[in-house]
Amino acid sequence: MTSESASTPGIDGDYEALISTTDVELLKRAWRNEKAAPEILHFESALIQRIRGQIQLMEETVEEFSGSGIDPLSVSLYQMDLDRTQYLLRSYLRIRLQKIEKYTFHISNNSEVQSRLSGQEKGFARRCNEDLERHLEESVLSKLPDNYRDILKQSLISEENDMVPEPHLDTFVVCKSRRFLGPFQLDGSDELLEMKPDDLCIIHYKSIRERVQEGEIDLV
Amino acid sequence: MYGRKAFQLVKELASGEKGQLTPYNSDLFDQVTAECSQHHLELQSLIRKIQEEGLDVQTTRNSEHYGSLIHHLSLVRNKRCLMAYVYNRAEIIRSLIWKVGPVLPQEIQERLSHTEEEYFKRHSAALQSYMSRLDLDLTVDMVPPKDPYIQVRVLDDIGVVLSDDKTTNFARHSMHFLKRTDAEQFISRGLMEELTD
Amino acid sequence: MAGQSDPHQSLFSAEEVEFIAEDETVEIIPNLRMDALNFICGDFGPFFPQIATQVPLWLAVALKKRGKCTIRPPQWMSVEKLTQVLEAERDSQRMFEQLPFHYVEISRLLFDHARDDIPDVYMARSLIEDIRDVRFHKVETNLETLTERAFALKINNLSAMEVNIVRPFVGRALQAFYKHDSLELIPDQERVSDRRPQVANNATRRHLRR
Repeated sequence: MTSESASTPGIDGDYEALISTTDVELLKRAWRNEKAAPEILHFESALIQRIRGQIQLMEETVEEFSGSGIDPLSVSLYQMDLDRTQYLLRSYLRIRLQKIEKYTFHISNNSEVQSRLSGQEKGFARRCNEDLERHLEESVLSKLPDNYRDILKQSLISEENDMVPEPHLDTFVVCKSRRFLGPFQLDGSDELLEMKPDDLCIIHYKSIRERVQEGEIDLV
Repeated sequence: MYGRKAFQLVKELASGEKGQLTPYNSDLFDQVTAECSQHHLELQSLIRKIQEEGLDVQTTRNSEHYGSLIHHLSLVRNKRCLMAYVYNRAEIIRSLIWKVGPVLPQEIQERLSHTEEEYFKRHSAALQSYMSRLDLDLTVDMVPPKDPYIQVRVLDDIGVVLSDDKTTNFARHSMHFLKRTDAEQFISRGLMEELTD
Repeated sequence: MAGQSDPHQSLFSAEEVEFIAEDETVEIIPNLRMDALNFICGDFGPFFPQIATQVPLWLAVALKKRGKCTIRPPQWMSVEKLTQVLEAERDSQRMFEQLPFHYVEISRLLFDHARDDIPDVYMARSLIEDIRDVRFHKVETNLETLTERAFALKINNLSAMEVNIVRPFVGRALQAFYKHDSLELIPDQERVSDRRPQVANNATRRHLRR
């Protein structure tokens, strides 16, 4: 359902380095990726630290301006810039919280996923897990026969954890390539896919999850 | 029929309006847990029977074996339904923290079970402690920001008003550019109207 | 809460799509003298009367609302260009003419806040609506041809709004093809969003598989 656009293949990662990217731009990208990805992604710790520093600086500046008779027009514009950045930051952190809440058992049983969380998020995940576990114990499990009281398994004869909600990695997402990507294999098939910069694609998430993490592909 | 009650419980959950809690159905819930205990008793007596006949429980495939299998599977299914009921309600309960804040209004609280109330309190506390360690309130800025200033027309003579250490004369029909938060008190009293272009 | 990932809802709300579009650059002609603005999102200005400069759309609209500038509508918003695009869209079954990814949101913001800066504003507006309709009809027709398993589907030149509308449907359709084609039974993963007992779910699925 597409026309081939006239963009030039072959321009590689260097292109990226040529155009300067602001931290807000990076945060917006992280926010969109986090919003669109079914699983929780790596916490952008350095970026978030920089952004919070810039927000704090801007808050001080706006405060200073307001008190010092700088024209109210500029002050209101600076405030708008500040509001936009704060919204992005809060929304980014909220989306992650929601994923932690939703997949709390999956996260607490998977050290690889835990390593994607910030220190504070890890603490929150631990408490989420304890609280929900306690709630399910009291409401359901304590009322069941002994062999059926496990929270992760249906019964004692289950060989693996068969009651843990996990993110659907089989989901399809919309993505945009940021550079030329030579033919790569799609998960679970023999098909190969090639992407040019700005190619827009609906794709099986599993096939591109590493590329999203590496910043080669953006989810939109 | 086995599993019918558990099915009703889950159906109640699924037919509720999205994001809304139906009253916690402890009656039906307890009936399902009672059914689970019953399954377990029957299961045990069937297994005892196999053992009494001197047969190996692991390998025997007689009618007692298949009977016990049905009780086991029914029990597992009931467990899943009970868990789904509480788990999905817990999801809605968590979303309430964002929608109505840390104190639940009476009419919502009435729909929760006792342990659900406890869960709500504990989870609110967990969230609070995360936000205070983060030193950032995440309950604000829930939607993308709009221009904090709006253009208003004064509908009635308000006179001179002092705000943000400057005075403005809000004469009738004059137009001003004000902070949305400052203008709202006048708009709600019918003294100003917002101009949309 | 924000970022609810409900398959029946759009991933991005209308407000969020607009928020993203507000970062697109437009040209303004200020009518005041103002120092450069050193924002977190970048540096803009300094501003001099009658000297054109590039700013993000949200800033352009804010200045316009305060009577401090006129906005120069982008080239693709001219009646001439839009007429060409509309004709091309009508002539071809499959091609989507290249308009900016956020053409719907950008044009709406400008129609709402900078009407007096757009030549032939009524004509331009109705052309954009026609283009939207024609394109959307084509999107629908093309979706009907989607009948088999695919791991990836290129949708170049679809706009942000169009992506947002087709995403839930196409995503779920491809996911369904994928599931019914795969050899293994899909593990219990839908419990969270589906609120249905899994056993029933698996049973139906088994029927549908070849």
